[in-house]
Amino acid sequence: MSDSSLLIVLSTLSTGLIMGAIFSLVAAGVTIVYGCVWLPNASNGQFFLLAALVVWTFTLSFGWSSLAASLAVIVLGVLLAVVLELVLIRRLYNAPNRNVAYFVVTLGLTQILSGIFSLTYAKWSDQFSVPPVIEGITMLGPFPISNNRLLAMVVSLGVLGLLFALLRYHPYGRALRAVFQNREAAALRGVNVRAIYRLSFVLGSTIIFLGGILFAFAYSFDLSVAWTMSITAFAIMIVGGPGSVLGALVVGMTFGFTQAIVSIFASPTVAMFSYLGAMLIMLLFQPNGLFKR
Amino acid sequence: MTSHSQYGIAAATLVILALPFLLAGNRFLGFVLGMTLISLLWATGMNLLSGFVGLMPLMFAGIAGIAGYAMVYFTRTAGWSFWLAMPVASLLAAIIGVALGLPALRLKGFYFTLCSLVIQSVLTLAFIFFPKFTNGDTGINEIAPPDWFGGTALTGVRFDFALAVAAVAGILFSTWLTQTHLGKKFVAVREDDVLAESIGIDVVRTRITAFFIVSLYAGIGGCFYSAYVGFISPRAFDVLVSLNIWLFVTFGGRGTILGPIIGTAILAPIPFLLQDLQAFKDILSGTLIILVTLLMPGGIYGAWLKLLSRKRGREVQTTQVREQGV
Repeated sequence: MSDSSLLIVLSTLSTGLIMGAIFSLVAAGVTIVYGCVWLPNASNGQFFLLAALVVWTFTLSFGWSSLAASLAVIVLGVLLAVVLELVLIRRLYNAPNRNVAYFVVTLGLTQILSGIFSLTYAKWSDQFSVPPVIEGITMLGPFPISNNRLLAMVVSLGVLGLLFALLRYHPYGRALRAVFQNREAAALRGVNVRAIYRLSFVLGSTIIFLGGILFAFAYSFDLSVAWTMSITAFAIMIVGGPGSVLGALVVGMTFGFTQAIVSIFASPTVAMFSYLGAMLIMLLFQPNGLFKR
Repeated sequence: MTSHSQYGIAAATLVILALPFLLAGNRFLGFVLGMTLISLLWATGMNLLSGFVGLMPLMFAGIAGIAGYAMVYFTRTAGWSFWLAMPVASLLAAIIGVALGLPALRLKGFYFTLCSLVIQSVLTLAFIFFPKFTNGDTGINEIAPPDWFGGTALTGVRFDFALAVAAVAGILFSTWLTQTHLGKKFVAVREDDVLAESIGIDVVRTRITAFFIVSLYAGIGGCFYSAYVGFISPRAFDVLVSLNIWLFVTFGGRGTILGPIIGTAILAPIPFLLQDLQAFKDILSGTLIILVTLLMPGGIYGAWLKLLSRKRGREVQTTQVREQGV
């Protein structure tokens, strides 16, 4: 193998890993909310972008350190999720056909957020980049990869691992999975279903915010990333199986590599077509996804 | 259909036909009226699916876009008359729409909505990435207005009146359709598709028929839109447009004929009257979408009917949507 083709392979590998890790993280956030509350969060892309933009404000305009900015965004994100749950989400817990109602409500939320962004951030800049958390590069053979992106990947995979552990071993996680499987039976066994709904909405939203923060540190971005991420996360959720974190991880990684490989030959939009196609095929033939929970 | 809603439809029809002449003095208001009338035609069409069959078609604007671009292609490149290009383009769009929607129409509820969102996204991407027909993101400008008798073009008040006639025709057609056997099948499918299937209604076929008719509405509206505004781009037919029309229908009251008329009359002119505050349009309509879904699933007209029936102490009209969701 010649040096230049090795370089391409390594670059594809690293981009695929990093993008895949972030995709998986966001999709995991979407999938646990859908699996548990039946809430297909159409505004996940806007949440993702919101976190990234606020990080940009905190680090560049306020001059805060990366860690302080990230923590502040997570705290604000949790607050936002709690308020949304209190004001909007809980009103639909018992509505018939609530997933459609949720989808519509979150589409409305998407429109509000994108309106706010076009009034504010769109006027300030069209490309946003945040100073890296750590400097320096690591050499992977002949291929340089920035430590900053490696960090983003490690953190997202770490959070996914924690999420796995939470769902499998912690009482809260077990209650969450019980509600995934059967709402009534869980209630009969003494699980507070409404509390679990609240917990999973806040947890899922926080994970999406975290994905946005990591993405902001790893890549420069513009406002269109919201829509792309939203569609991608939905596609991952449907293909991987709603409610399955393992599905989100496997399919998210696959999509990350797809994006990296396609980007060598064509524009990333072509990759988008393939996600949408995969989602359509899945919806038609196996709406429960690859990893049925 | 109660007699009072028949009077309501008759009155609305007369007002719609008279408005182009009442606003003839002011070109700006005339334009706002024209855009409202196109939205009215779209809303009436979408109501058939979202109100009567109970499916939320987010690819509606995409289908309108196919018809718009096809119409421009036929009139510009092939040199057809608008009045030939419009029906052909609309039929083409409806056939493509059904072909795209065919698999999705087997699904229901959220999965149909999600599928329709995917199809809409694919169509938007296609409009951007096939510039041969669509001129990509730049869009097509200076689309000629429809030709008219004696070599003149259909412009100004006459075009507004033509749109009023189209909107009224759309309203009368959907009024008639919902009275027929097919219209009753629509409601049966919406209320309980399993029960409908068990009494011998072919649910998927009923949905496909409804979707074809709705796509025709979308297509005809798309052709008129392109010729009326004179400029189209992928943004004119993106998912936000579908969502807006859905909002007109639901805000007014889906599953009724008068509801979408009321909703469109109130909401459609707002973006034009906002002028400098254009950017607030998205925030406003997003807020309305949330409020309507949470507080007023039956819409304005639905709430009014409920009030009326409570006064008279009887059940709500059967064609009206009773539960939350689509």
